[in-house]
Amino acid sequence: MYRRLREWLEDRLPLADLVDALRHKTVPHHRYSVWYYFGGMTLFLFGIQVGTGALLLLYYRPSAAEAYESVQFIVGRVPFGWLIRSIHVWSANLMVASAVAHFFSVLFLHAYRPPRDLTWMSGMVLLLLTLAFGFTGYLLPWNQVSFFATRVGTDIAASVPGIGEFIVRFMRGGKDVTGATLTRLFGFHVAILPGIAMLLVGLHLLLVQRHGMSTPPSVESRAAEDPSTIRTIPFLPHFLLRDLFAWTIVLALLAGLSTLYPWELGVKADPFAPAPAGIRPEWYFLWAFQTLKYVPPTVAGINGELLAVAAMGAAAAGAVLLPLFAGHNHGSRRIIVWIGTSALAFMAIMTWLSLKGGQP
Amino acid sequence: MTRTAAVRLAALAVAAALWPCRSPAQITVDGATAAFRDDVHEAGGFTCASCHKVDAARQPRYDAMPRPSIAPMCARCHGDAAYMRKFAPQVRIDQYSQYLTSTHGKRMAAGEVRVATCIDCHGAHGVLRVSDPRSPVAPANVAATCGRCHADPARMTPFRRMDNPPADWAVSVHAAALLKRGDTSAPTCNSCHGSHGATPPGVTDVVNVCAQCHVREAQLFRASPKKDIFDALGQAECLACHSNHRIESPSDSFIGLGKGAVCAECHDETGESAATIRTMRGDLDRLSAGLSSADAVLTRAERAGMLVDEGRAALRDAREHQVQTRVLVHSFAAQPFGEAARLGIGSASRAQEDGEAAMRELQVRRRGLAVATLAILAFLVTLWLKIRRLPLGPQDSTRA
Amino acid sequence: MPSNAGRRDLLNWLLGIWGGGVVGSIAYPVARYLTPPDVPEASMQSVNAGSGRALPLNSGRIVPFGSQPVLLIRTSAGALRAFSATCTHLACTVQYRPDLERIWCACHDGQYDLNGRNVAGPPPRPLEGYDATEQGDDIVITRRS
Repeated sequence: MYRRLREWLEDRLPLADLVDALRHKTVPHHRYSVWYYFGGMTLFLFGIQVGTGALLLLYYRPSAAEAYESVQFIVGRVPFGWLIRSIHVWSANLMVASAVAHFFSVLFLHAYRPPRDLTWMSGMVLLLLTLAFGFTGYLLPWNQVSFFATRVGTDIAASVPGIGEFIVRFMRGGKDVTGATLTRLFGFHVAILPGIAMLLVGLHLLLVQRHGMSTPPSVESRAAEDPSTIRTIPFLPHFLLRDLFAWTIVLALLAGLSTLYPWELGVKADPFAPAPAGIRPEWYFLWAFQTLKYVPPTVAGINGELLAVAAMGAAAAGAVLLPLFAGHNHGSRRIIVWIGTSALAFMAIMTWLSLKGGQP
Repeated sequence: MTRTAAVRLAALAVAAALWPCRSPAQITVDGATAAFRDDVHEAGGFTCASCHKVDAARQPRYDAMPRPSIAPMCARCHGDAAYMRKFAPQVRIDQYSQYLTSTHGKRMAAGEVRVATCIDCHGAHGVLRVSDPRSPVAPANVAATCGRCHADPARMTPFRRMDNPPADWAVSVHAAALLKRGDTSAPTCNSCHGSHGATPPGVTDVVNVCAQCHVREAQLFRASPKKDIFDALGQAECLACHSNHRIESPSDSFIGLGKGAVCAECHDETGESAATIRTMRGDLDRLSAGLSSADAVLTRAERAGMLVDEGRAALRDAREHQVQTRVLVHSFAAQPFGEAARLGIGSASRAQEDGEAAMRELQVRRRGLAVATLAILAFLVTLWLKIRRLPLGPQDSTRA
Repeated sequence: MPSNAGRRDLLNWLLGIWGGGVVGSIAYPVARYLTPPDVPEASMQSVNAGSGRALPLNSGRIVPFGSQPVLLIRTSAGALRAFSATCTHLACTVQYRPDLERIWCACHDGQYDLNGRNVAGPPPRPLEGYDATEQGDDIVITRRS
């Protein structure tokens, strides 16, 4: 019965070719190969987001008058609504962490080298999209914290010269953060960003299939002397089952976090109330938030905030275009590792300072 | 020294001698002129000469008036209905006749000048409307104005009066309502004593004064056995338990027969009232305990992320009943006090039940989590075994 | 001793069982989530206040709106009015007094007229108004935006 179904499908779809290709696919196995799992982990968490997000869409209402109440309804009245909502928030945080881990591991293992430069660039854009997903989603429960955090966050865009005002109006759907902002960010969060992300993920996966997994230079150079150092395992079923193992652990983690540390509703947003003390964005933006606090008002006559935002923008652009100017010798790779380590340390320290509540 | 200066100095001396009540009346001509700019009389077209006698032969001199003549002088206009109609048709014209009935007025009429007259409260040259927050007789400022004399032992002792009422009032719930919350419905000195006819209410009249706002308590008290007893004893109502100026938040501990309870000041263990008192106190305590226990469990549930709207509504209901129960204390009888307490305890236990249901639901979730985690763990263990037993381990890449 | 093949089959079978358990512990909550709850939507904007016949002329009733009480009144002229039942003075719950045709607060004798305006006693502000309409047999109270 199952075989007849398979035969029927194989006559029509290139299933056999697909399975054949996957059967021949191998994955390098070395001391760093544990980092290979983070790409798939990010994809798995993205899948969870799409699934739980679609479920939330059945009950959520994207207007200032109803958003908070609809989330309250989901969490209080819909069976397992509390679970779906908390999983969505926790998984968002885990996805950002996983994407960042994936980014740094690819950087330090130099997997951006040609021919994988397009994979790298599409991945970088996906990382920025992930942060955009987080930013747009944060406002949707329409509580005090997220309302004011969105106001502060969009204010920063105003420091961009020339087009700053336009960018702010574009993001807010108007001059201030209002119900229009909510509807607009909602549209980005559930339609526009997912559309772009799907395309890029498709491209990213296609390229990964095309070029296979990259082997780090240190392993490659050792293999030049002794070919037996590069060992591989088949993708099907070995790597895939290990992937499944990791995904199942994360699933258990999500269930535990959502049940034992459910996300709170907060207080409904009131634009006329004073901003609650200690407003800050989600943890993955804290390093930028804290850096802006430390930057002096003017640096050599230029607006300090503008300079900091410009620097961050330049760093992001540099990261996206990295493969185009990265050298291919040992020396340049060491420089890149140094830059990456410093960036990681900087972001970690800034995040820690922000959590500590440090004021400059 | 010039003549004008000498005159001014004399005026100062006269003022110092004749004005023991240091009023805001400005002593110097310049000061008075400056203050008069804000005065409502100035806006009405009055001048210095309207009140002060002027010696036509010399430069206008503004003598300080003898104190007993001030009130009749003000009353010349303020007691004339036809005249006042020209300026403020609704303003009252009985202030002077009220003043004559007051303790201040009676003493002033008998020749005692060390009591208050118009300018001591309203000011002399910068008279503002009562609704102006800068006015010394604006509701928030009345206690301070009365307190200028009534809180000063030097002024009160000659009259054998206490000087503590203003300080007592300042720590009362009424002062907190008026001064901290800005609730202008809260009483200050003149609300109970009257302003122009200021006299302490008589012992049997206190309940009428409090009843202006505390209607229900007064109704209950008047219908209770205590009214006749207090009248017969000459015992001041309301203030026997609540004090008159230092009215602090009453508490359930007022009711009881133990040390420190207010009832115990007259009642003891013997007598039929003892049983009623004990029952009332028991009901109040049970109600209070029910409320705080329900609040605790609801807060725990909310902190854990559960929604307990119905519980909060029931708790609100229970608090309403607690307020009613406490009011019904003033009937000094077992019913309908007991009924109100019973309803309150019922609502509180409904709230408690809702909170406990939420906590139980939390446990259900955690048990569900445990089950799911066990299934996942079993799956992981089996999967790991399978991975280990897979036929091809890591291969040399040289072997295709 | 069971053969390798036998053990592999056992392992696969166990994997299937536990895997089914995992899938079930995902599918069950999702399936329950998809079924609409008894109250199909957040009643934060409007509330059904019961039958119109149960509210005679010149009478009032307290109706819960979420966790807050709302006073629903039918005036002697037959019009429906609804106001927040929380007194603006010290937050006691107000009631309708048919003898006065006013809203009355028992705590300190505050009074509001049938437009919610504070007209006597200590209350400093009017009562917040709600819209009350008859839809068929029922009365529906809606928050004003």
